[in-house]
This record gives sequence, structure tokens and C-alpha cells, in this order.
Amino acid sequence: MKARYGGLRGWVLQRATALYLLGFIIYFSLHGLLSPPASFEDWRAWMQSTGPRLAALLFFVAVALHAWVGLRDIAMDYVKPLGLRLAVLAAVAGGLAATLTWAALTLSG
Amino acid sequence: MRLSIFRYNPESDTKPRMQDYEIAREPGDRMLLDLLERLRATDDSLAYRRSCREGVCGSDAMNINGRNGLACITQLDHLKEPVVLRPLPSFPVIRDLVVDMTRFFEHYHAIRPYLIHHGPEPQREYLQSPEEREKLDGLYECILCACCTSECPSSWWNPDRFLGPAALLQACRFIVDSRDQATDERLEQLDDAYKLFRCRVIMNCTHVCPKGLNPAAAIERIRQAMLRRGL
Amino acid sequence: MTEPGPVPKRPVFLQPLQIELPVTATVSFAHRVSGLLLALALPFLVWTLALSLHDPAGYGRVLAGLQYPPVRLALLVLAWALAHHCAAGVRHLLFDAGIGTTLAVARRSAWAAHGFALAVAALVAGALW
Repeated sequence: MKARYGGLRGWVLQRATALYLLGFIIYFSLHGLLSPPASFEDWRAWMQSTGPRLAALLFFVAVALHAWVGLRDIAMDYVKPLGLRLAVLAAVAGGLAATLTWAALTLSG
Repeated sequence: MRLSIFRYNPESDTKPRMQDYEIAREPGDRMLLDLLERLRATDDSLAYRRSCREGVCGSDAMNINGRNGLACITQLDHLKEPVVLRPLPSFPVIRDLVVDMTRFFEHYHAIRPYLIHHGPEPQREYLQSPEEREKLDGLYECILCACCTSECPSSWWNPDRFLGPAALLQACRFIVDSRDQATDERLEQLDDAYKLFRCRVIMNCTHVCPKGLNPAAAIERIRQAMLRRGL
Repeated sequence: MTEPGPVPKRPVFLQPLQIELPVTATVSFAHRVSGLLLALALPFLVWTLALSLHDPAGYGRVLAGLQYPPVRLALLVLAWALAHHCAAGVRHLLFDAGIGTTLAVARRSAWAAHGFALAVAALVAGALW
């Protein structure tokens, strides 16, 4: 069996998402430092404007993919019994999918 | 000098132990191997490999004060006492400092360490420009002592499926060789979750290489070649 | 054909704490630990985001939560983790581009990644207390 998944492909995915995450974190941190939200209304208005909302949505997609590759690597290195590894990977995938769905619902609401 | 050496005799020991030695240093003892040779003259049960005693054959690789190196080119002046000698980490121990290199050489064979040429052989010789030849510098000098692979955490956790820095350095050596015609097949073979991609550029390999080579950079060169090929 | 004899079970020396780990290795390990911490914090991030966007009371609760020492401590650890993961990540991206892969430069960038993460953690600690 060829384990073609997760060779170059996983590596490229990790790097591509890393670039986006880095850009988003810098943008978000600078925005938070330079013009912190003055009130709830201010904060919600900003997060509901198109640009930040889309950027945040994409952030959660990218972070889920990035974390998947990284956590899978950790499981491949340290979790040796096959059954346990599959259970860990399933829990990671389920947890990330649930977190991503929750984030998407929050941002679209 | 005081030494503490990992001892294991499969015929009499159930598990390894550390044995302390004390031996006076003589004026001729410059390298660790000089001392070991005289030590073995007093205790012929002590086992280690050695051959050329000048850092070319790669036989006497061992873990010296926590760091892999060749006993024959490790200067006694630079060693803290007691000098702790252990076999190469993560390699099965046959006896004392002698380890089983089978898996290491299987990984080496797996990357097909020879030129692959399709079609007719050249009439006289394979020609290569000086620039093309230069690309092999820092790759061909490897003596396969296994210091790097044995010190690599990625190899510790996946010793069977990750090929390890030594084999991957050699993979790079053939991938960048202008005379080799199997570049695509070689890159294809390495595009796998384990063989190459367990490398996280920890750089223990480069840190310990007794020949000053840089397997980590070679692995990054392979990844770049894969990426260019994929685009 | 005769059965092959039993393969002797050979001992293996592998005690990571007895083996020299250079700064490039500690950065790599911290990269892994910080990534794991950030992944574990992800649900809490979404929870905080949802709460803060729900209504003024929720927004107030998030701000009030910052007063609790355990929350501040968690924030400090996460700030270190994020800074370290980003710095070590940039270092990785540069390696992938073929930049800084010599041992001397890789050691310097490793110290820089550790230093950057501690500096950010110190700044965040200063802002929180």
C-alpha cells in the first residue's frame, strides 16, 4: 500500500496555511493593539463587517487544516499501537471539525 | 583518566550496565581511540569496532559524553571526565559498543545509492561539467558512520519507516547528480508520509556529523526538488 | 529448510536526557509543545469569541474573566506558545526556501526564536500585571 497522502501534500498544506495564519495573526494583533474595540457594539460591528468576518472564517479553516497536519505528525511519532492511533486521529479530526463548525456558526450569526 | 563505559555481553548479561575504568594517559594518547586501544589491552572483554583510526572508515562511531562521534578523531583534551561511552543511541546493541547496523544499511540500499542510466551507456565515460560536479560537494563525502541517523529524534520514533539523515543525504547526492536519469522515480519514491517527511529539521544530524556535512540541508533540497516537480 | 534460530532480543540505548540536545533541537521540541497547546486552546478561543459576540453581558463576562489569575496565567502561556510557534514557524519556512540552513545560522535563528518568544511573554506579563 502506498501512503501517498500526507507526503508532499500534507507538507505543502501545512506551509500554505502557515503563511495565511501568520498574516492574519499579525493583522489581528496590530488591529487589536492600535484600535482596540471601545465597546460591545464597536467589537460586534467590526467582526460583522465583511472583511474581518471572511478573514476570521478563513483563519479557522486554515487553523483546522494546519492543526490536523501537526497533530497527525505527533500521533505518528508517539502513538504506536494502531488501534489507539486511529482512535486519537479520529478524536482529533472530530474535535477540529466540531470546533470549525462552531466557529463558522458564530461568525455567520 | 576516568571512563564510564556501557557494557553488555549477550552471553552472560541480562541487561546492560555501566563499568568504570581508570587509566593513566600517556603522551602518545591524543585521541579517544588511542586510550581505548590501551584499555582493551588490559581488559580484552571490551568490544568496539575500529579500523582505519583516522576518521575515514566510520567504524568507531559511538556516543561520547552524550554526543555521537568517532573515537579516532575525538581529542581527549576536549573531553570532560568521566568520559561516558555508550553505543549509538536507538541501534540494537550486539555487545558493549558494537551495534547492529542492518536496518541502517537497509535504508541506505532503499534509496538506490548508484547511478541509474536508461538507454545506451556512453562510449567512454559519463561527462559532467565542473558546475554540475560542484553540486555533489558536501554530499559524496559521507562515510556512513551513522552518527547522524542515531542522533535523530525522527529516527528514534520511526526507526523502520523513516529513512534517516544518512540515507537521505545519499538520496540527495543521486537526485542532484546530472548523470543520473532516475530523478523522477527517486522523488516519487520519497513522496511518502514516512520515508522523508518525518524530518522536522531538528538538525541533530548536522550538529554531530564528524565530516561536517549537512544532512538537514540536503533533505530540504530534496523537498524543494519535489515541490518544483509537483508544480 | 531449517527454521532460523531465535533472533536475540537486543538492548537499545535510548535515553533522550542522556543525549546532547543542541538548541536547534530544543526549538523543534518547543515548536511541537507550543503547537499542541495552541490546538488545545482552540475550542476555548471559539467559546470566547462566541460569548463576546453574543450580547453586551457576554462581552462583559469575557473582559471580567481577565481579572482571574488562572485566566491570566493561561493567557501568558498561550502568548508564549503563539510567539514561539510563529517565530519557529518562520524559521521553518525560511529553511524550506533554502535560507539559513547552515548549522551556524540555524543555531543563531534557534536562539532568536527562543528569545523572541520569551520577550513577547515578558511584554504580555507586563501588560497583564
